[in-house]
Amino acid sequence: MTAAHRHEGVDTTDPRPRPAMSTVGSSTADPPDAARDLGWDEVRMARAALVWLVEPGHRALGRMVREHGPVETLHRILGGAVPERLAKAVSARLNAADPMERAEHLAAETRRLGCRLVVPEDEEWPTQLEDLARIAVDRDPRSDPHTDPPLCLWVRGGAAALTEVMSRSVAIVGARAATSYGAHVATDLAFGLADRGWTVVSGGAYGIDGAAHRGALSAGGVTAAVLASGLDIVYPVGHTSLFERIGTDGLLISEWPPGSSPQRHRFLIRNRVIAALCRGTVVVEASARSGARNTARHTHDLGRMLMAVPGPVTSSMSVGTNLLIRQNDARLVTSASEVLEEVGLIGDDLAPVPRGDDTPRDQLDSLSTRILDALPWGRPASVEELAVASRITPTQVRRTIPLLVMTGFAEEIGSGYRLNPQQPTSAKKSTKTSDPPDT
Amino acid sequence: MGYARVLSIGLVGLVGRMVEVEADLSAGLPGLTLSGLPDAALSEARERVRAATVNTGLTWPNRRITVNLLPASMPKHGSVFDLALAVAVLCAAGLVPAGLVDGVALLGELGLDGRVRPVRGVLPAAMAAARAGVPQLLVPVANGREAALVPDLAVRTVDTLAALLDHLRGATDLPGPDRRDAAPDIDAGRDLAEVIGQERGRRAVEIAAAGGHNLALFGPPGAGKTMLAERLPSVLPELDDESALEVTAVHSVAGVLPAGGGLLRRPQYQAPHHTSTPAAIVGGGSGVPRPGAISLAHHGVLFLDEAPEYQPAVLNALREPLENGEIRLARAIGGTRYPARFQLVLAANPCPCGERGGTCLCSPTVRRRYLGRLSGPLLDRVDLQLDLLPVRAAQLLADDLQPATSAEVGRRVVAARRLSTSRWAGTGHRLNATIPGGLLRSPRWRLPRAATCVPERLVDCGTLSARGYDRVLRIAWTLADLSGRERPDPGDVAEAVDLRTRTAP
Repeated sequence: MTAAHRHEGVDTTDPRPRPAMSTVGSSTADPPDAARDLGWDEVRMARAALVWLVEPGHRALGRMVREHGPVETLHRILGGAVPERLAKAVSARLNAADPMERAEHLAAETRRLGCRLVVPEDEEWPTQLEDLARIAVDRDPRSDPHTDPPLCLWVRGGAAALTEVMSRSVAIVGARAATSYGAHVATDLAFGLADRGWTVVSGGAYGIDGAAHRGALSAGGVTAAVLASGLDIVYPVGHTSLFERIGTDGLLISEWPPGSSPQRHRFLIRNRVIAALCRGTVVVEASARSGARNTARHTHDLGRMLMAVPGPVTSSMSVGTNLLIRQNDARLVTSASEVLEEVGLIGDDLAPVPRGDDTPRDQLDSLSTRILDALPWGRPASVEELAVASRITPTQVRRTIPLLVMTGFAEEIGSGYRLNPQQPTSAKKSTKTSDPPDT
Repeated sequence: MGYARVLSIGLVGLVGRMVEVEADLSAGLPGLTLSGLPDAALSEARERVRAATVNTGLTWPNRRITVNLLPASMPKHGSVFDLALAVAVLCAAGLVPAGLVDGVALLGELGLDGRVRPVRGVLPAAMAAARAGVPQLLVPVANGREAALVPDLAVRTVDTLAALLDHLRGATDLPGPDRRDAAPDIDAGRDLAEVIGQERGRRAVEIAAAGGHNLALFGPPGAGKTMLAERLPSVLPELDDESALEVTAVHSVAGVLPAGGGLLRRPQYQAPHHTSTPAAIVGGGSGVPRPGAISLAHHGVLFLDEAPEYQPAVLNALREPLENGEIRLARAIGGTRYPARFQLVLAANPCPCGERGGTCLCSPTVRRRYLGRLSGPLLDRVDLQLDLLPVRAAQLLADDLQPATSAEVGRRVVAARRLSTSRWAGTGHRLNATIPGGLLRSPRWRLPRAATCVPERLVDCGTLSARGYDRVLRIAWTLADLSGRERPDPGDVAEAVDLRTRTAP
């Protein structure tokens, strides 16, 4: 784009976007030129500016954005036409710099860091995050004002869309000062989940978080680290190489703009995103006063599946998890398959678990039909007997029959096979879903 | 002249080391003192050598004789030094000229009549001689062909002490070894085609051979477990030169090399009885340990019939060699290593009574305890575990009228191994059996979800363990190799799922 083109058309002296009359996302208003160069529309600019102004999850701001859209909200804030509580929250930053300038700077930074900004108007926005708006209503505002859904997310890595990666995800969280037991279990769970195509989500801390990421990475699966600082700031520094691997093979996610430092209260704000992204949260080890219990509370409030790994009653690092099982209706889990048993049952709107779909009999190929016709009702038949009855070689029978068992046509008794009394019915519609991407 | 020195070779495990036998004659009470850590058999050499010398027509020197075996710190055992000892004493006494024994290593046991008898371990000894640059090796006639397996080594054979002395006096020349090819050691009469009706078992043998997988067969008596195990070697590929030399050397040290002493080209089959001791299985014995059944089965098959009946110590002793391909036996007198890269075949009845069908009276506890004797760590190393049912008439009908012969199956096995060798080149592995599960699940080799949905479902249901899942993957790769596919397809994985056991612990 030439310099001449950059200066025509739009009044660049006024960085404030016009109030959006149309709904967000479909706005046709021209964004400021500098931002358009970087591929950011005015919605993105507005959201980035808002995040810079107010700590994420602010309830009053969130409500306003939902009602009026981000562009209009920013406009009102800049014009001072906002409730007092919100005005107080933005005043410190507002006086420091021009939010639109900052947003332009962030756009450039984002591109420089190789990240992208994902906003709710995008196709790939994980809509399950909007559930946070529901729990934000009931909370006492003074104790926890930052429970609203994120306004936007900075994301690095991952060829696949965020929705797709997060549609089947489980959070594994726990103490930083994990024992070898906790680290072992976290690694094991993450490995098992990632191995079966599930995404593992955790923070970026030492201990359980790190173990979970390593387990998922060693299974060749997708793991996502939700950070409480800008994506350009590595915290803790000892996880530099781990974050690099996650940035390559998995996802680094943050709702803080680049340059934000990891402050103590931000970890608590961040926890609600981990809980809301996933279909369930597993707490592996937690002391009585652990941040993981905060994530567990959000999980419970969101109605997501809360799971905990039990530990020795003598271990202080398992006091929190044991208490979750005892008091907070956390499900006791000990293995990846038990975790899948829990999260596979909820969320019909999300992608189904990778189970074989019931296929009506008429969809079977001729080989399967011939074997099915040969299967007895009563005494199970061995593969060799089936081969005689169906006039197919034993090898072919063996190559086919486990699939018939999985789809529910046959059942396995001892070393033989027979018809399953509960044949799959064709009434069940074939919900053939696309298989998860193979790595 | 009262001193002479002759070369011989001693063995420490599979490694031959040059030994110098020196003799000294001095004034004093007549007698023979032997030093240099001899064992009982070697100490008895005094009497054998004396009688043999006298019966050959020579006079035994009535002097004080001291014989020392160098290096004195290395323990020496057996009768292999008899010949060297006799020549050293006779040279020291001046009864034969010493000039011709310079640079000649002598091996052989002497009978009282002066005949030279065969000894164990000639092949590793000959290899040591070649390594040490000894120009000539003298061995008993019966060991000639064995010594001749080592290239670039001049071998002469001797049948009596008299002939050797004639040679040393320059009267006659000793013959070289018989280099005619020994009869090929093909194990005729054990062909896979003879196992009728047990199609599942034959398929398992083919897969085990192709992928190098260890095999466990569970089934009632009469299901054909032993027949199948005996036929596994017949479908394994022939050993290459290096492997064949290793195998032959172990058999030579153990003294079980078949008469004729040719190179063992076929994979060996060992089936020790279930009462065997740990020492018999993994090697042992007093002094320097001798190779056991697992080393004799090196590059071959070790079959443990009625596996739960073996002592737990025996079964657990197999774990380390299964992992490392060798056994390290440490003894106070000195440790030794024997190769033991064998393919394990286990067979077991589902319960102690072994009755088929409905007549078994064993309680569930008894049955579980019986198979529970096969420890988890041992079964973890057995990729292919399957149940065999007694042959029924239907199976006889289902079977091909002409099942594939061992030769046909062997050709498929060779082709499959060629595929797996080229695929795993660079990973340090050749056979699918040794591939760690992590590598199979790594992004490069992971199978598409469409192919693995069946075993994954079983894992989710809890009827297949994580290790069982890895075993299914390994077998699926071998099935793909056997059908020449680049990667396992869903059918291969499904067949691997079917070929698993339901009765094992």
